[in-house]
Amino acid sequence: MAARRLGGSSWQQMSLLSRRWCLQAGSAGKREQNRYSSSSTTLEKTVENSEVTREEIVLPRRKTWDKLAVLQALASTVNRDPTAAHYMFQDDPFLMPRNTANSRLLSLSKESGRSAAKYIIKEFPQYFDKTTSEPNIPCLMPENLTPQIEGVSEAALKERIHLRGVKASVDLFDQLLQAGSPVSLETTNSLLDLLCFYGDGESAQEKQNEQKGDLEEPEENTSEQRSPKRQFQKSLNSSGFRWRENSNAERIFKIMPERNAHSYCTMIRGMVKHGAPAKAYDMYTDLLNERHKADVHTFNALIRAVPYLKEKFAERWALVKDFLNHMVQQEVQPNVLTFNAVLKTLRRCGGVGRGVSLSVIQEMNALDIEPSLATYEHLLHIFYRSVELQPSTIIAEILEEVEKRSFTPQDPDDANFFPTAMQACCDLKDIKLAYRLNKSMEKGDNWKFLDMDRLNAYWSKFFSLLCMMEQIDVVLKWYKEMTPSLFYPSTRSMFDLLQALDAANHLEVIPSVWEDIKQLGFSRKQDLLEELLSLMSREEHPEEEHDGAFPANQQDPH
Amino acid sequence: MAAPVAARALRVVSWSRSCAPPALGAHRDLHTTPVCFKTRAARVRVGKGDKPVTYEQAHAPHYIAHRKGWLSLHTGNLDGEAGAAERTVEDVFLRKFLYGTFPGCLANEVVLKRRANLLVICLVVLQNLAPSKLYFLIGYSETLLSHFYKCPVRLEVQTVPTKVIYKYL
Repeated sequence: MAARRLGGSSWQQMSLLSRRWCLQAGSAGKREQNRYSSSSTTLEKTVENSEVTREEIVLPRRKTWDKLAVLQALASTVNRDPTAAHYMFQDDPFLMPRNTANSRLLSLSKESGRSAAKYIIKEFPQYFDKTTSEPNIPCLMPENLTPQIEGVSEAALKERIHLRGVKASVDLFDQLLQAGSPVSLETTNSLLDLLCFYGDGESAQEKQNEQKGDLEEPEENTSEQRSPKRQFQKSLNSSGFRWRENSNAERIFKIMPERNAHSYCTMIRGMVKHGAPAKAYDMYTDLLNERHKADVHTFNALIRAVPYLKEKFAERWALVKDFLNHMVQQEVQPNVLTFNAVLKTLRRCGGVGRGVSLSVIQEMNALDIEPSLATYEHLLHIFYRSVELQPSTIIAEILEEVEKRSFTPQDPDDANFFPTAMQACCDLKDIKLAYRLNKSMEKGDNWKFLDMDRLNAYWSKFFSLLCMMEQIDVVLKWYKEMTPSLFYPSTRSMFDLLQALDAANHLEVIPSVWEDIKQLGFSRKQDLLEELLSLMSREEHPEEEHDGAFPANQQDPH
Repeated sequence: MAAPVAARALRVVSWSRSCAPPALGAHRDLHTTPVCFKTRAARVRVGKGDKPVTYEQAHAPHYIAHRKGWLSLHTGNLDGEAGAAERTVEDVFLRKFLYGTFPGCLANEVVLKRRANLLVICLVVLQNLAPSKLYFLIGYSETLLSHFYKCPVRLEVQTVPTKVIYKYL
């Protein structure tokens, strides 16, 4: 310390002489700081600072960034453009869709153009198989779907199963059996898997070759009676195939010399998928008789099939409990899909379902299984969509859960959560809940659950609720922001908007609303026109308003 | 202007017979094309005043980078970069392909932009076809060209009601 003081005083003397003298005393770090300081207190502080900097410099750990981090950061700076259509459409006034039907038409035509190109690529793969890109991009190469291994052997059968050729595999299997060579249990099981998944019909590739109808319509099975089975089939299986008595899967199952648990499970799942629940139940009793254990997916399928096995609510719930007990006995761990299946069945159990569903949720929490959006959707359905609406605050609790995190898709029914929740908010006429729901949808990845149709339904309901409950300027602000980028208003929405304008006596906006109606293509809808005209004829409008926008206005002040 | 260039015939100029013809009658010939003067390249000749001409066609090549831009943008022609010839061949194929796929609809030359791997094709299209048909063709072209060139291809289409005429020559 004494040395430094000495240095300090000598510096002070030297500073009187010249500022350009470099100091020799003290550490090198002092020089820069001392050049411009003239008081000794600052000098002492700088001396202490340079002492500190002589310690170890700790290098921070190198951060590893995700490959997409830069793109995600850039994307977070760009907001949604409220005047543009969905990004899959071209940004041109002639090519932008006008309303919902138009947007569906255009997106479907683009998709059919893509499948036309894929057809060409499949037909002439020799023009597309040169690998000009480094590294090779496999998804841009033509698919090679012809089996390589010829001849009647088990390896050939395995290859055809791998390439998903249903007919080819079944033919080859029959050939193998006729030739007398045994087929191993594993291969037979994988053949059964293929058959039960595609339902003995054709797989997607083979179906494409024979498809003549629309991409839209599922193939109707004409020889069917009107029965609950038809709805069951529509709800579970979109390809229209129905499980037949003499289908290939059953035939192969019967002639199998030995069967293990996997065979039974596959058959049960296939039967449930393709509309034969009673058979699935019989198969399950067979499985129990053989003392095999079923796996969790089989139990999920069986629980989903319960509403079609029994009619009375109490019986349904008893059967579900039965299955769950069997699960416990066979030491099969339930997963989130199990509980979703239970809740889906409880949807059709009326009052019994309502009483029991909360205990199901508690069971789920006890097992530490995180609920997916489908769980909440089923709960909302049970409590809010039944005939006798009893007041319940469960929606607030559900929203609290949903707001906390961003969900990943785990169940095909997840996608229905947001429209159902918005419908429940509309029924309850609660705008605050709707705002909360909106916020939770924008959080993280939750917006990915809404595809084009559901997006439209969701926002239409939100807009109707807004028109009913909110002030007119808030309504107009949302209207400007939401159309046409998020949804295309339907006739119903324009009706609601007109009524809201009516209630707020804000009729000056009507010319621009009429422009929008014309653009949406609703200018010939009778009831909308009548509503508009009655609003316009209610009052005298000032002079500026009748320029240009109203060919039909009767009250033109001259 | 989007019409394909007519093939020019090759002309064969033989060396005269007097200087040492090979024994078996085989010839070594010099092949030339007919003369193409650079003063006539890419120029629409002035006529009676009834020929409608777009901005692109009306300007001669010496106006590129002054009044015109480029129709094909890639880095193959920079110093040290490879692949200029391949890009040119791809461009020719793409222009022919698009001329045939959008029959009678192209209002102007196609602009091709290459950014890293991505190929952006900018078209100006007349409003002859219904929007759904145009989207069909757009989806078809994008997928087919992506699979053909093994790189992502994006079409950006702008529509005009009629061809935009700059002047009459």
